[in-house]
Amino acid sequence: MAESATQAPPGDGSSKLPTWAKLGAIFGVVSALSILTWGPIGVSGTYPRFIGAIMRRITPDAAHANPYLEKMGSLIKPETMLVIGLLIGGFLAARLAGDKAAPEHVHPGETTSGKRYRDAFIGGFLIVFGARFAGGCTSGHIISGITQLSMSGLLFAAGVFATGILTAKLMHKGAK
Amino acid sequence: MTALILSLIAGVAMGALIQRVRASSPAMIAANLRLENLSIIKFMATTIAVGAILAYLTMAVVGRDAMHFDIKPTYVVGVLLGGLIFGVGFGLGGYCPGTCVVGAGEGRKDALFAILGGVIGALVFTLAFTSIVAPINALMDYGKVTLDQVLGLPAVGVAIGLGAIFLGIVYMLPTEVKRK
Repeated sequence: MAESATQAPPGDGSSKLPTWAKLGAIFGVVSALSILTWGPIGVSGTYPRFIGAIMRRITPDAAHANPYLEKMGSLIKPETMLVIGLLIGGFLAARLAGDKAAPEHVHPGETTSGKRYRDAFIGGFLIVFGARFAGGCTSGHIISGITQLSMSGLLFAAGVFATGILTAKLMHKGAK
Repeated sequence: MTALILSLIAGVAMGALIQRVRASSPAMIAANLRLENLSIIKFMATTIAVGAILAYLTMAVVGRDAMHFDIKPTYVVGVLLGGLIFGVGFGLGGYCPGTCVVGAGEGRKDALFAILGGVIGALVFTLAFTSIVAPINALMDYGKVTLDQVLGLPAVGVAIGLGAIFLGIVYMLPTEVKRK
């Protein structure tokens, strides 16, 4: 096996695959292995579990009286570890590749970094609020959801891309 | 315990993949949503296709009970409304709840603002749940329904078919779209 591998032209074949295809295929394997071993990947539920962990410290009565926080449960869950992993993975990948995350202007209207932070903040609010409304986000609903053939994942994806495309195009034209 | 370790490893892998494919770049997300560059959309479709085919083929071997499937309920009004709200935030900020965490890991300052917005969004959601969200999410709730059930076909076949369609579309679409 080793001999035939050395005879093959180095990197030929697989190097023709674009980056998104290679990384997407690896992510698909990670996603399927997760469903086999512990559960489908999903991120947005960790946000309210974090709120719950804080509220149980500050106002335990209000936290226990809230049916949503009771439903979401404790932070000691695989999903929380997944989110911690995202932070580590992003850090390591950027470091190993020597990437410096330069500040980006996402829309023409973002003329200052303050305006970028404003858009990121409002965007962050809406994605988590919307994701919790629907019961999942890009990972839980779209990736894991459609992977499991869930109708809710397909419906959520349709909603996301409808307003996502519209918003990105309007922001690009400078219309507010 | 094993699940906590495996999920951490999955998270590190997922974070690295998101960083390498540039899905943690809000400018890249915005370019995808403007349909000028389709690399992230193609990345996601490839992930879903490979994941669905592998997961359901594995299920055919080990049985459904050995898998950790977790289907989310289809409450039509809430899922669609949530998706529409999510899309506005996605187009505006260029982050989703996971990519902003990856962005924070690689040192993006705006990602911290997205996470802060997300935490406050979760707080407001939690406080609004009983009065506003729960009644809406009780509307048109079809429960944990899947595409194979709707079509009345075997799940393995539907997974392979859907995966093949996704890969076919992704293969045919250009990555860089020329604008007129």
